[in-house]
Amino acid sequence: MRTLYVEADTILHRLPPRAKLLALAAASIALFLTRSLPWLGIAVLIGVGLYFSLGLPMREALARLRPIFLTIVVVCLFNLLFNSPADAAVVLLRLTTLMLLAATVTATTSIADFIDEITVLVGPLERIGFLKAADVGLAVGLVIRFVPEILARYAAIREAHTARGLPVRPLTLIAPLIILTLRDADSIAAAIDARGFRRQ
Amino acid sequence: MNYQNALENRMTTRDLVFASLFAAIIVALGLVPPITLGFIPVPITAQSLGVMLAGVVLGARRGTIAVLIVVLLVAIGFPVLSGGRGGLAVFAGPTAGFFIGWIFGAFTTGYLSERLVTASQSGLAQGVGFFVAAFIGGIGVIYLFGITYLAFVGGIGFSKAFLGSLAFIPGDILKTVIAALAGRAVMAGYPLLPQRA
Repeated sequence: MRTLYVEADTILHRLPPRAKLLALAAASIALFLTRSLPWLGIAVLIGVGLYFSLGLPMREALARLRPIFLTIVVVCLFNLLFNSPADAAVVLLRLTTLMLLAATVTATTSIADFIDEITVLVGPLERIGFLKAADVGLAVGLVIRFVPEILARYAAIREAHTARGLPVRPLTLIAPLIILTLRDADSIAAAIDARGFRRQ
Repeated sequence: MNYQNALENRMTTRDLVFASLFAAIIVALGLVPPITLGFIPVPITAQSLGVMLAGVVLGARRGTIAVLIVVLLVAIGFPVLSGGRGGLAVFAGPTAGFFIGWIFGAFTTGYLSERLVTASQSGLAQGVGFFVAAFIGGIGVIYLFGITYLAFVGGIGFSKAFLGSLAFIPGDILKTVIAALAGRAVMAGYPLLPQRA
């Protein structure tokens, strides 16, 4: 499955993931504490500079941001209509900066690095015995493994409808999809335990 | 937390697999072309339907874990939301509250389903129980999070945020109906919902 990580070797790629995440958290707090347009303007320029220095092709770089940027624009228009132009500008600059910085962290941090960080975060849950730290990676792996299978099953159920001349309705599609998918759970769980992944 | 308690709350491999498979279903529902309903021309994206279904089919605990896995996948950089959205940037948008609300929506839907619906009830009672659970969890709770976040982060205030979100209510009510009917069908075919009523 495709990820949003961008293979490259920039300074941002080499920074430790935790430092990037803490910096992102600090930046988001700072962005919400200020309403100064010059500062927010500088912030958005830094965001643009960082995000577009990653070496993503321009089309791809813009396509990634488009859906989120659209929601920001809609909220800005609301602000422009019901509040003041200054309010709209603050929201536009603040959220756009945040989006750019967040997208930068995502593009420069590999899935494995993220999973390492999350494994540290769930440490306390492991100590109380709720889960195993390795469960996070296992769950991610299972999803990646089974999405294509579910899509194939979905297509098969659609075809079964067509073959019988039935209209494809959400209900007659989703119930069999869920039952057929979850029916495999016991054998998958047995396979995982047989390999001793979770040691319990 | 004492040891006995911890053991009871421990996630079994089976729970983890159910939650992961359901997370995969939610992801898949974002990849398939939107389903058009016969009598309404607007296509519905099925991903938030998947959130209601997680609660209705798996119950509070496993349903919540399924949605948490989806949120985690998005956070670590998989573009698994409908329209290919993903990454930390999703959390920067003004509508991120709806997405975060999924976790609590699935929990509430599951919690209410476990208490309102039993296998021995009539089909109608099950359907109504699932509908109430999915409506409160999948619409009430998710909108509560989404609108609150939108009001503060978007700076547009509660009433405007509420009015702006109203447009999505009819589609979501339709999803609630589908979730309730699918919940009944799955309960009849492959019951998984923990019984607490």
